[in-house]
Amino acid sequence: MIVYARFVPSRYFCWAPYHSQNHYEMDVTVNGRVLTAGEIQRRYRRPQKGINSRTIEDQKDIIAQYERTYGKNERAEVTLRYRVNGGAEQTWHWPQQK
Amino acid sequence: MALAATEVAQQPQASPSWNPLRCTGTALPPAVLLMAKLIALCLLLTNHARSLPEPFLPFLPVLDYFDPRLFRRALWVVYVGSATALLFNRWVRTSALLLGSSFLLALMASKLYYSNHKVLCGVVLLLTGLQRPGQDPWMLRYQVVIVYFGAGINKLFDADWRSGQFFEFWAVESLRQPWYTLAAGWLPPMALSQFMGWLTIITELALAAGFLMRRFWPYAIWGGILFHSGLLLFTSSTFTMFYFAMLATFLVFAPWPQSRVLVLFDGDCGFCNQTKNWLEKFDFDRRFDWQPFQNGGGQPWGITDAALQKRLHLVAGEKIYAGFAACKMMLLYNPVFYLATAALLAAPPLAPALFRKVFVGAMLLFFSPLFSPIGEAGYDLVARNRHRIPAKDRCQVG
Repeated sequence: MIVYARFVPSRYFCWAPYHSQNHYEMDVTVNGRVLTAGEIQRRYRRPQKGINSRTIEDQKDIIAQYERTYGKNERAEVTLRYRVNGGAEQTWHWPQQK
Repeated sequence: MALAATEVAQQPQASPSWNPLRCTGTALPPAVLLMAKLIALCLLLTNHARSLPEPFLPFLPVLDYFDPRLFRRALWVVYVGSATALLFNRWVRTSALLLGSSFLLALMASKLYYSNHKVLCGVVLLLTGLQRPGQDPWMLRYQVVIVYFGAGINKLFDADWRSGQFFEFWAVESLRQPWYTLAAGWLPPMALSQFMGWLTIITELALAAGFLMRRFWPYAIWGGILFHSGLLLFTSSTFTMFYFAMLATFLVFAPWPQSRVLVLFDGDCGFCNQTKNWLEKFDFDRRFDWQPFQNGGGQPWGITDAALQKRLHLVAGEKIYAGFAACKMMLLYNPVFYLATAALLAAPPLAPALFRKVFVGAMLLFFSPLFSPIGEAGYDLVARNRHRIPAKDRCQVG
């Protein structure tokens, strides 16, 4: 599993967490309406912004799984902005562009 | 006769003691049971049960079909019930198995609940439950090796760990460590962070190798304690259960005495007798066999009466300890010491972060070789003046 973990982004159950510090902030629009920080917290059970000390892939995975399952009948658009270990800001979107 | 008593203490008994401070007489080896109890105790004291999840974004989609409240309540009952049963020596293997399984089921039920330390607790408890009576705990040992190997390899392949970027950001921006920031300012940019990153990688891989080879176990245990305690002192954090669980697993590598430990003391000394009586109250496993040296108990071990007159001696297997070293080993061979230490660290009586730092720092100093000369000098001072210390029993020394 440790070897497998080298080749997958979200390293669950592999004894190989990223050990990274990710400052993130997300904006969410559902059916054209912008959600407040409280609504985002209720939707994903994660703060609208904060620090993720495992891996940002975990944050992306949670959003993606929610939107593929519980939120599949809603048109959600998510923008996740984050910095890994204080590096340059990066952006991730849901739905992911093909 | 003494040997027979020893064997009885080690064998599983039909009805194990309800005393949570006892670790003998069950289907598990004492060191393995103590390890599982330490984890269970810390889980209960940190009120971990409160954070048990209901199914939400599960790893196994089928868990979404369970009633969330019922699922969480059932998990809570199994979790608290099995942890309590384990502490009170009830069906120890089954209890460990249930506690570990409830942990892993909780992890499967929610990706939000997932974290490395919870996987560690769950797997260690599960493997404890799978431990067969009389079997060497090799599965638990390999699990510890895998944890360090995984953590070390992961960091080795991470560019931010190799360059020091992670450590720089973590220590300066996230933890806002004033001492680190000050020290880093005296060195070239990133030098300290790069050093710390590589030190962590090398330490974790060395611990994996050390725990893999029996002859390095004592070094790996002390290295691991220093590593994790150093992290606690640096971050003021136990990383929730990680500090407790990781250190508890070291017990499966520790040379736990297979028979009773002989303690040779001065039977003519009132203070010594009083100390013996007091310490025996905390020896629930009847681990220590106190013998006045005047009975000739030192002769088979080649310990002279002159040496025994000066210092208390402890014989554990082939090893002989005297004075302050013997006192330290009496602590290390008594489960009460570990359970009390874990309780104080998991539920500190005051200012948790400061208390943990001071307590862990004091413990490290007390057991370090650096303190031994002071400890031995203090012991000798008390031993020389023991006849002056008031005691209930009349002292015949001096």
